[in-house]
Amino acid sequence: MKSKNVPGMSVNIGGIELKNPIMTASGTFGYGEEYSPYIDINRLGAFIVKGLSRGPRSGNPPPRIIETAAGMLNAVGLQNIGVDAFIQEKLPYFNRFDVAVIANIFGETIDEYINVAEKLGDVPGIAGLEINISCPNVKKGGIAFGDDPDTAYEVTRQVKSVTDLPVIVKLTPNVTDITRVARVVEEAGADALSLINTLKGMAVNVATKKPYLKNITGGLSGPAIKPVALRMVWEVTREVSIPVIGVGGIMNAHDALEFLIVGAMAIQIGTANFINPRATMDVLEGIQSYMVGNDIADIHDLIGTLTVD
Amino acid sequence: MTGNIKKSRKSIITARVVDHHEVVKNHFLMTLKVPIDFQTAVPGQFVMIRVKGRDEPFLHRPFSINFLTSHGTETLIGILYKVIGKGTTIFSRLKKDEELYVMGPLGSGFTVPSDRKKVALVAGGMGIAPLSFLAEYLKRQTSFSEQGIEEVVCYLGASTSQLLLDRERLENTCSKLMISTDDGSDGYHGTVTELFQNHVDAYADSDSIVFCCGPDPMMAGIADIVKKYFIPCQVSMEERMACGVGACLGCVVRAKSHGDQQHYMTVCKDGPVFDIRDIIWRQE
Repeated sequence: MKSKNVPGMSVNIGGIELKNPIMTASGTFGYGEEYSPYIDINRLGAFIVKGLSRGPRSGNPPPRIIETAAGMLNAVGLQNIGVDAFIQEKLPYFNRFDVAVIANIFGETIDEYINVAEKLGDVPGIAGLEINISCPNVKKGGIAFGDDPDTAYEVTRQVKSVTDLPVIVKLTPNVTDITRVARVVEEAGADALSLINTLKGMAVNVATKKPYLKNITGGLSGPAIKPVALRMVWEVTREVSIPVIGVGGIMNAHDALEFLIVGAMAIQIGTANFINPRATMDVLEGIQSYMVGNDIADIHDLIGTLTVD
Repeated sequence: MTGNIKKSRKSIITARVVDHHEVVKNHFLMTLKVPIDFQTAVPGQFVMIRVKGRDEPFLHRPFSINFLTSHGTETLIGILYKVIGKGTTIFSRLKKDEELYVMGPLGSGFTVPSDRKKVALVAGGMGIAPLSFLAEYLKRQTSFSEQGIEEVVCYLGASTSQLLLDRERLENTCSKLMISTDDGSDGYHGTVTELFQNHVDAYADSDSIVFCCGPDPMMAGIADIVKKYFIPCQVSMEERMACGVGACLGCVVRAKSHGDQQHYMTVCKDGPVFDIRDIIWRQE
């Protein structure tokens, strides 16, 4: 299908073939139906489903969100319908689309991760798994799996051992050295990495002296975190040989190009969807026109081309 | 890829401010020129707005539609709002001919069953914003149909007489307008919940329906009354929102509609209009 004027956009993320490097970030695109009136889902490289757990989770009490400078805090609390309901009620919706569906999964114990991964491995229509390791580990006093390299290693290794699907591990930025977690997760067998998840933050209403979020703290997303995400992607791509997916505050094609140039093999659009439901398409078209304008025939000729004097 | 499909797709539209004025201190009415598609908007639906060419506010802000008019190809909607925070402060400075991004109409509106004869609108403060549109909509409906609604009474409450918003419009659209003020400066001296309680006997028959919007404690009070008298009631809810389409799950309220299991429903997609009985009003 490639013509002379259309740049090559396809990438391979740890075994998942994508027609282009544009993905929707987990938790920002619902189960697909919410944004299908606004964009042609077929044009996405991949669709990452909202995080799925073994059973349904009702999430945190409201208020769950608050706008902050150049971004927002959220404490949705991983509300989801559970993996079984997803397979029965939501997954069939995607059959009509030609898009890679990647299921984001999480658990409070390693057994839960394994259980969800096994269930998704048995159904057609899932191209890969993205493991959210920012979830609190109940057996370790609520410390997130991703905060501790040993647990991050263990959850990755065990999920890999029960599934044939490519496994992407989504890393948390709330660590001292993200490259250390990235290296151990690669050793554990991860096929790709997504980074970054939200940065932990909070906001206070000075009139009431109460936190704006009922959960007190939440995850910061949006343009405010983009420089941090970009720096981490740059650091990690130099340390690992598996593909890295850049995510964090990408609002437009310019932002996405920065991530590709520092070495991201693909990018995820998250909070930008809320501001512009067509953000994924605008980013895709913007990257294509940049490539045409700069005589770049294939996306691989752009990825990792950062020049440092 | 197919270029034509895009035409039928929803998109964020650019709307121009055609009028914007302060109705009373800190309360503004902004009129926007919108595409003709908005003619299908129903009372209770809302729009998400952002200022074109500005990074702040970052997220769209949700506002219920306060009125909708259509003359020929020109469709206008009204946004009635109070200046509370950063977003509304920025909006309040917008001048005629400035442009906004608008998503909508969004969410579910009020539904009026065809067998209802008596309608009560119960509004507290800014809660009148979607109910004024409903009053106009009902007046249009009833004049077109022979049977149906016999009376629409509006119970309008505010802290003080100055803040009884949309009063003149309601006098024209409703059969009767009942007033309450917390400070006694006009009408019944007390809350609109008490005022409605004083007249609730009129709605105890099976042909009544109540539509309600206002601060949470006021809606909780109305919930108690309508449950006691078995009067159907729809309520319009508000929460902070990010996406407006049901994707982010930021704007939830506690609900109880599926059996007795408590769960969260999104104001943007499951609402903003709910059956008042489905909402959990107090911490249990």
